[in-house]
Amino acid sequence: MPRRLPYWDKRYLFFLCLFSVFLMPPVLADGTVVSKIYHPYVQALEKEIEVRSIYERDDDRNDQQKYKLAYGQSISDTWFGEFYLIGSKDGGDAVEIETYEAELKWQMTEQGEYSADWGLLFELEKEESGGWEVASSILVERELGRFVGTANLAFIYEWGDGIEDELESKLALQMRYRHSPHFEPALEIFTGEDYKGIGPLIMGREMLSQGKKLRWELGAIFALNSDSPDLTIKTAFEYEF
Amino acid sequence: MQTLKIQCYLCRQRVIYMLFFVLLPTLAKAGTPLVDISIEQHLFIPSEITIPANTKVKLRIHNRDATPEEFESWELNREKVIMGNSTAIIFIGPLLPGAYPFFGEFNPKTAQGKVIVE
Repeated sequence: MPRRLPYWDKRYLFFLCLFSVFLMPPVLADGTVVSKIYHPYVQALEKEIEVRSIYERDDDRNDQQKYKLAYGQSISDTWFGEFYLIGSKDGGDAVEIETYEAELKWQMTEQGEYSADWGLLFELEKEESGGWEVASSILVERELGRFVGTANLAFIYEWGDGIEDELESKLALQMRYRHSPHFEPALEIFTGEDYKGIGPLIMGREMLSQGKKLRWELGAIFALNSDSPDLTIKTAFEYEF
Repeated sequence: MQTLKIQCYLCRQRVIYMLFFVLLPTLAKAGTPLVDISIEQHLFIPSEITIPANTKVKLRIHNRDATPEEFESWELNREKVIMGNSTAIIFIGPLLPGAYPFFGEFNPKTAQGKVIVE
């Protein structure tokens, strides 16, 4: 049987997270706010290879492209670890590896046990330029019939060469409609410091063979203010085996 | 510009406050009916269970085989690996009346079942 936090411990952790939100200072964004939305679940024995891309288009600057290649696997039935190589491309330049990232995801509650499912995500990122970033995110998901709502609230601290030490927060929301395993439309909202964006997403999964799946997603996030890139296209492929 | 940033910050804080207060009651826990299912020789036993509509149900799945199995159901929105010779808990529902198939992803030809909601 998986080890879960006792009910009172979960409630204590919840109030601790809630209190920390109230202490967040207003700060400016300096990274890509549009990213993967995490679900608070971990499958034992799962391994995956993940390829993601983010393309930002803005009339006032060069197009930006970011690519992520990741390998992840579950450590237990409640913990999942993933390692990322992140490359970027600015305008016509070649793709360069600029960041390494390690993640640990913790499934805190059994899916469906409470009205919402809870998890935590811990991230450590090192940039080639000497910058560091550490982040903790609260992951919440709730089923509403065929709709599934997911929220990721991240608290980020950056430090190191070439960047100003700062504390940031990001909020990502997704409302997904479970139409069929092969096609699920969704709406995503991202907000982080001066970025605000909203847009549609489609996703699906294909069973390849026994125990093997391919998940895909494609989304277009549109800016809600002048400080945000006009359009962000996100794509992802996850091969689970 | 500074005023705009402060307004954006306050707006974001309001969203965060609303999010947490909407989700606050979700920590409530209630008594849940229990249904036992076994996995033996890569078969679900019983392969069909009946549960009441609009009720959350706790499935206790005993994998009596030596090899792991993954309980999978898109219709129930659940997937969970159950290691060999161990037991796992899966919560399903509340569900509308209907039939909700499930299968074992590691042995999909034999490990199949159905939840009937009445």
